Amino acid sequence: MMDVGRHPRIKLLTYSEIEEISGYIGNFRIKIRRKARYVDENECTACDECVEVCPVIVPKEHQMGLASRKAIYIPFPQAVPSAHLIDIEACLGFDPIACSKCAEKCDKNCINYDDKDKIIEFDVGSIIVATGMDVYDPTEFDEYGYTRFENVLTSMEFEILTGPGGVTKGELIRPTDRKVPKSIGFIQCVGSRCEKRGNPYCSNVCCMNTIKDTLLLKEYYHDIECKVFYVDIRASGKGFEDFYRRSKGLGVKYIRGIPGDIREDPKTKNLILTVENTSKGSIEEHELEMIVLSVGLVPRYDSDVIQKLLTLSTTSDGFLMEVHPKLTPIDAPTSGVFFAGCCEAPKDIKDSVTQASGAAARALTILSQDKVKIEAVTSIIDEDKCTSCGICADVCPYGAIIVDKKAKIPAKVIEAACKGCGTCAAECKFDAIRMRHFSDEQIMAQLEAILEENPEEKIVVFACNWCSYPGADLVGISRMQYPVSPRIVRTMCSGRVDEKFILHAFELGAPIVLVTGCHPVDCHYIDAQQWAQRRVERLWDKLERKGIRPERLQLEWISASEVGKFVKTMEELEEMRKKVTREEIEETKRILSKIKK
Amino acid sequence: MIEEADFKCLRCGHEFKAPYEKGKIEERFCPKCRSNSVRHIKKKL
Repeated sequence: MMDVGRHPRIKLLTYSEIEEISGYIGNFRIKIRRKARYVDENECTACDECVEVCPVIVPKEHQMGLASRKAIYIPFPQAVPSAHLIDIEACLGFDPIACSKCAEKCDKNCINYDDKDKIIEFDVGSIIVATGMDVYDPTEFDEYGYTRFENVLTSMEFEILTGPGGVTKGELIRPTDRKVPKSIGFIQCVGSRCEKRGNPYCSNVCCMNTIKDTLLLKEYYHDIECKVFYVDIRASGKGFEDFYRRSKGLGVKYIRGIPGDIREDPKTKNLILTVENTSKGSIEEHELEMIVLSVGLVPRYDSDVIQKLLTLSTTSDGFLMEVHPKLTPIDAPTSGVFFAGCCEAPKDIKDSVTQASGAAARALTILSQDKVKIEAVTSIIDEDKCTSCGICADVCPYGAIIVDKKAKIPAKVIEAACKGCGTCAAECKFDAIRMRHFSDEQIMAQLEAILEENPEEKIVVFACNWCSYPGADLVGISRMQYPVSPRIVRTMCSGRVDEKFILHAFELGAPIVLVTGCHPVDCHYIDAQQWAQRRVERLWDKLERKGIRPERLQLEWISASEVGKFVKTMEELEEMRKKVTREEIEETKRILSKIKK
Repeated sequence: MIEEADFKCLRCGHEFKAPYEKGKIEERFCPKCRSNSVRHIKKKL
């Protein structure tokens, strides 16, 4: 942090918040609020004389309230710049009669109660999101007595307690009697891998963090008894298994089973833990002086702010979603934005550093060139047809379309930001948007070719490029069988499937039409898939009003790996196709051609 | 506002009730056949 702060080519803005981000890859403009510090950071020498006279004491956020700080403070020892700031909500000193002790004590006159927030703006070429994570709050696991029993701590609190910069300067004491505990129990997976409470995912770091804690304890307190209660130990990194073996070799007991209950002895404040030891098949009780709940990682409480600012999407867990988990794990769906660390998924220090190095390198690839190559699939506005209604701008997941509705200026596509999902083209009621590649003409021509002969024997399938189409591909690679009737029309996104494509397929005699794409959480175009769902739902109503059975238009979300689902869907649709009579198809054609006329 | 609404599966014809929030788009599936072709049946006034 100090190195970054001193680097001549890095501008570090701490105690600041991003207010607005506009622009696109290579040309982002960022508006930042620099919060008022009320202390001149250039003059302050961090002598601490102001802290000594400050009468206000509040819990210290950086140490999760286990320690206290004054209203004038340095957030943490390594903070950059190494200068004080005033928590103005806690400070009494705005009125000199009320306090102003720090101002009187400061010889360098660094205190400025009239300081104001400043708004500054920057132009940047790329952005790296490294907003970190929070830890899970285990209060809902009432059986563990967290907050009821003082000697039950979370792994983060334990870290603060035992860390060299912690409240006890690294000395391990238990909260109730301030003595070194003789025995400690660690409960793994608290709030992790649980569908009913907490989070369904594995947080990746808790097992190794506990093993590290047990090694440190055994190193500094040889006689301390350590017990780890676990479901399974996940030590899959380089050298991690050795680490685990070392811990066991030093006498740490690993008991396979998650405790069901913790009670406190009111006299000794010791904790009695009941657990089913699944290795032995027995119910056991363990008396321990301290218990550490190994809690998982969760997305930052305010991660939705950066998500909205950069039009990013999240996975079902709430972490920011990358473009592709295997091929582009660092890139955000918005071009020029990259991820580092736990904002994207729970990860340990090594993985965070690896990803951060990758993100820095990816950012440099943009900064080092004058021009950026983008995919050729983008949308083009026909200004003669555009009515400036603004629907295209509303549906664009990337904010790549600018339109001035009041001034009636036709929409404009920022090609560097456009990803080519085609949702704008599908939603435009005036046919004022055409796509480069996957154009209307190309898709219509495909439909005409598919349904030229024996259309009643075909099922038209619109499949998205990223999930359903590769899913169909994988069915073939896996040598799985499905009926011969489906004919696949590939689009970049299910959001591209225009109402007119579906109606045209019916008009040409298709008995069944299927729109298929990514599951909502997997959509490669943030939320473009949702527009496909809205459109299909709208079309079901429309078809019914026109006297066409809505059942003939089907919807299915199939991911690239769901080969079984793909085959099952095609088999079911084949059964439905057989029930669509020639008379029904002819009636549909008659209805649609009448509407056209 | 979340309310209980009627849905019909356009694959197997199964009709069921499920929570529904107007304007909210979410992945719906039929509890019987797991199809996503689930249509919200609007109440006729």
